Amino acid sequence: MVRPVRPGHVFGVLAAGFLALVPLAVDPYLLHIIILILMSAVMALSWDLLVRTGQLSLAHAGFFGLGAYASALACNLLGASWWVSFLAAGLVGGAAALGLGIITLRLHGMYFAIATLAFAEVLRTVALQAKFTGGAVGVTLPAIFGGNRLAAYYLVAAIFVLCLVVSLGLQKSRWGLAFQAIRARQAVAEVLGIDTVKTKLAAFVISSVFPSLVGAFYIHYVTYIIPYEAFSLNTSVSALVMSVFGGIYSTAGPVIGAVVLKILEEYLKSAIVYGYTVIYGLILALVILFMPNGLLGVIRRAAGSGRADQILRWVGGRKRAGASD
Amino acid sequence: MEVFFQALVNGILRSGLYVLTSVGLALSVGVLKIVNFAHGEFLMLGAYLGVFLFVFFGVDPLLSLPLAAAALFALGAVVYRCTIRHVLGAPEINQMLLTFGISVFIQNMALILWTGDPRAINCAYRSLTLHLGGVNAGMGRFITFAIAFLLIVALYMVLTRTRAGKAMQAVSQSRDGAGLVGIRVQKVYLYTFGLSAALAGMAGVMLSMVLYAQPAVGLEFTLKAFCIVVMAGLGNVGGVIWASLLLGVAESVVGTFVPQGSGWSEGVFFILILAVLVFRSRGVGQWFAQ
Repeated sequence: MVRPVRPGHVFGVLAAGFLALVPLAVDPYLLHIIILILMSAVMALSWDLLVRTGQLSLAHAGFFGLGAYASALACNLLGASWWVSFLAAGLVGGAAALGLGIITLRLHGMYFAIATLAFAEVLRTVALQAKFTGGAVGVTLPAIFGGNRLAAYYLVAAIFVLCLVVSLGLQKSRWGLAFQAIRARQAVAEVLGIDTVKTKLAAFVISSVFPSLVGAFYIHYVTYIIPYEAFSLNTSVSALVMSVFGGIYSTAGPVIGAVVLKILEEYLKSAIVYGYTVIYGLILALVILFMPNGLLGVIRRAAGSGRADQILRWVGGRKRAGASD
Repeated sequence: MEVFFQALVNGILRSGLYVLTSVGLALSVGVLKIVNFAHGEFLMLGAYLGVFLFVFFGVDPLLSLPLAAAALFALGAVVYRCTIRHVLGAPEINQMLLTFGISVFIQNMALILWTGDPRAINCAYRSLTLHLGGVNAGMGRFITFAIAFLLIVALYMVLTRTRAGKAMQAVSQSRDGAGLVGIRVQKVYLYTFGLSAALAGMAGVMLSMVLYAQPAVGLEFTLKAFCIVVMAGLGNVGGVIWASLLLGVAESVVGTFVPQGSGWSEGVFFILILAVLVFRSRGVGQWFAQ
């Protein structure tokens, strides 16, 4: 099917070109920062996938850590190659999400949020106490691709593009509409014939595979991880704040939020070593109070119905109908 | 057998703090219908207040209790006025994100200002021990339990015998109905949230008396309090007491009898939360329903 060229297509091609070529033009430190940004973008965007069904998850750190440990143990104990270990991380993350989702996704808002938080904390206790995880010392791995940073960049960029495609695809499909209906009013969605539990479960599994992949990438890239870092609440916090800051229920929002906040974080980390997360708390509270639709909402309002809005609508998915949220 | 009784007593004494913290959370959930993720942070601030009053001015923790209550009531009122009030009509997810943001902010602010080192109140009776027929009880823990007991009785009196308490009950049952009969709902919200923070603050002072103050301690108590409130069933203040006892004793028994117990007891507790959430949250009852 041949479709006319739209501004969105041009934008997409430009972005792909940028992702492919930019690492060739920057110095290693900047490349490292870009890798960190891409990891954050995947974390934020995948968190948003679930929030589109109206569920607030605090388990993102849990899946990140789970992925990191699954891939590290696959390499160290079973001698798996790197791509098998990534596959293992994705599978373990997805299976854990399926299990957790089956028992918790019938819960409403706050119960689900607390249950997911508890899940992440249980995982940390296990990682600290169990014999096979290395306890508080954590696990180490040799650097991926022999420490070739450029190759690592293309790997994380591939994960990012995959996440982007999944997010856009979901938004454009019937699933996107189903998510929106569940978020607006679950009872109505059920009357419309949507299997709400199954839909939320699918969203949760998809949304959890990505942090597991990022966790696998993290341990391969940084080469070691300790339980307190792998299952740190800060991981969930930053994913969620980036998303909310950029604008939830969209594809562009979390990505924009990740880019802006990760750069800010790198800058702040040198100024405040411990507790730089304070900024995340502040931003989260202020954004909810003063711009609940995030940066994207501000841009949309400013752009009105002009050309820029069309592009944004393409990148950000459908404009929301009514004031349901 | 003696070991078991010791674990039992430890658990019961431990539950005093849980009761105080959970009742505060239960009030704000019940009346404002908002989950306050920052509840544990109010407790943490109370704990630091107790430590600083003791270290810099030599104030006995028992005297710090009313001071902490007043300070945290004021802070709670300010937080309500400046933030919570503006999201009362917003989607639940925005409310959760807001209080979560406040929690993250306060916790990390404490980390920056006071570092992650644990601090404690080393008052004279902290190290004393009571001997009761072969079972030992720390004096600090015993005092904590006794005060928690008195405060709960006082709270019960306030809720059932005073106009303010009855207004809170009315608002929790029906916000619109309460407004129609002339109760100023906004005012009730304000002092309920303040009272909730004050209870957490007092629990905090006693925490630094029996254990220590530390920035991350709040999150743990938020989770435990939430677990207790759900276990009791949203709507049952009396149930909070039993649920707290159950959690305290369970932790203590696991910590005593399971090898490497102190490390695993955390995990046991979180599994308990998951179980409680899944099995108890199905039928959410009315608040204060008899």
